[in-house]
Amino acid sequence: MLDAIDLSKRYGSVPALDGFNLHVDAGEIVGLVGHNGAGKSTFIEITSNLIRADGGTVLINGRPPAKAKGTVGTAPQSIALYRVVTVREHLRLFGSIAGLRRAALDNAVDEVVAALRLGDFLDRRAGVLSGGQQRRTQAAIALIHRPGLLLLDEPTAGADPETRQALLDVVKQRAGEGAAVVYITHYLPELADLRATIAVARAGQVIARGTAEQLLDGLPGEVRLGVRDQEITETTTDPTATLMELLSRADGPITSIELRKPSLDDLYRSLAVSDVH
Amino acid sequence: MSTDVAASAGRIGVLVRHNLLLRLRDPGPMISYVLLPMVIMLMFKPLYERAFSAREAATVQVVTGPLIMFSVFTLAIVGNSILTEREQGTWDRLRSSAATSAEMLVGKILLAMGILVTQQVVLLGYGCLVVGLPLPTSPGLVLVSMLAWAFALVALGAALATVMRSHAEVGMASDIGATLISALGGALIPIALMPGWAQVLAHVSPGFYGLSMLQSAVRADAAGTFGPAAVLVAFGLVVGAFAVRRITLGWSRSTVL
Repeated sequence: MLDAIDLSKRYGSVPALDGFNLHVDAGEIVGLVGHNGAGKSTFIEITSNLIRADGGTVLINGRPPAKAKGTVGTAPQSIALYRVVTVREHLRLFGSIAGLRRAALDNAVDEVVAALRLGDFLDRRAGVLSGGQQRRTQAAIALIHRPGLLLLDEPTAGADPETRQALLDVVKQRAGEGAAVVYITHYLPELADLRATIAVARAGQVIARGTAEQLLDGLPGEVRLGVRDQEITETTTDPTATLMELLSRADGPITSIELRKPSLDDLYRSLAVSDVH
Repeated sequence: MSTDVAASAGRIGVLVRHNLLLRLRDPGPMISYVLLPMVIMLMFKPLYERAFSAREAATVQVVTGPLIMFSVFTLAIVGNSILTEREQGTWDRLRSSAATSAEMLVGKILLAMGILVTQQVVLLGYGCLVVGLPLPTSPGLVLVSMLAWAFALVALGAALATVMRSHAEVGMASDIGATLISALGGALIPIALMPGWAQVLAHVSPGFYGLSMLQSAVRADAAGTFGPAAVLVAFGLVVGAFAVRRITLGWSRSTVL
């Protein structure tokens, strides 16, 4: 569905992408993670046909972004709404541009309004909405025409838990119907909820890609052992062996045992450490 | 009509309606650019009647001069509407949709031309009904004149919007442009009464061609209408091509504004 091959892009002397490769299949959700400046949003802008890559290729169903505009739904990182236009008018505008007319347009609007719970502020102008409501509106615009490729750049930033879950449910549903999804977030539990394949971007490249289990393999977890009124914590890549060793050294009654597997947050922290060094 | 052309026309129609909605939600500038020239026409009428030996020439000048001047001010509406979309990110939002940059620009231009033609129709109608301008005997020539002038102004407004970085800059360009283009073009003071050097310089001002074209059209002078119209259309094509080039490149982080 989506192929980014050896993309490069510079802003002046600053490289934003430098050999960026990513493949996303139809029906697949890829969580693109990485620190600020890793090149994630630049990749979205190139794939959305907003800027041109200096080198490399992006193909969406075999076509370059300029020839595949109608098949992409983008929710950009920053809010981009008409302040004097209502949510309903936004949805009808972008639905109409995508070619939806009459009943099909009405149905599409009704569907995203229900899915993302926009009903309470549907006829309010975007300029008076809260940040979370504006983000929901942006996501709805990206979804309105049922695109084959969804590019969602931090769509849940500032959203309350209920809204966050509603959006995640819609994304899962659309992927289940065959849409390819690139989902950028710093909130890693969302990717676990989406059961997303994870691509880790750093310095303009995808440096690792796989399931959460694959990427976390080899990362240290934690063993916490409660002895009397003390807690001993050890970071380890072999929790079982470490636990056995701690138990053998314990000199009193064991009050608690906790094994914590490495999480995506640990992966993120390990990237930060490797960025520093 | 092929499917692609029909789809493109459909998107342009959607964008024109959308731009009309945006304009109707912010009608202040348009209203002022229609009301102010109406007041000026009445205030300047006695002055022009003294300056001109022929009463009809005075009336033509007092109606067409403010019309040309305030239609130049209107280019700020075009400039500001594009600049606002740049600032709010909605221009890129639309660019990432199925709409092309060319369709988006045409959607802006068609509405802006509609606004400009409406402004000119209202002011000419006011001139006939209230100021005493004789009813033009060749409405076709007047329409050609209005369209050519509107096209040149809209293209200029779009080009300005692509190089201006703030609303203050657009306002400054509009104010200076309107004053220079209209004053130098003879909208305030008839060319014949201007100093010799200004009469020479007048020929580089689009306002000169706009004013002479409109006055010729009102007098049903076809040759006097089509000549300046050709100059203005050529001018509009050049600055319009510049605007399209800039807009197609986009204004993302890679583009130095």
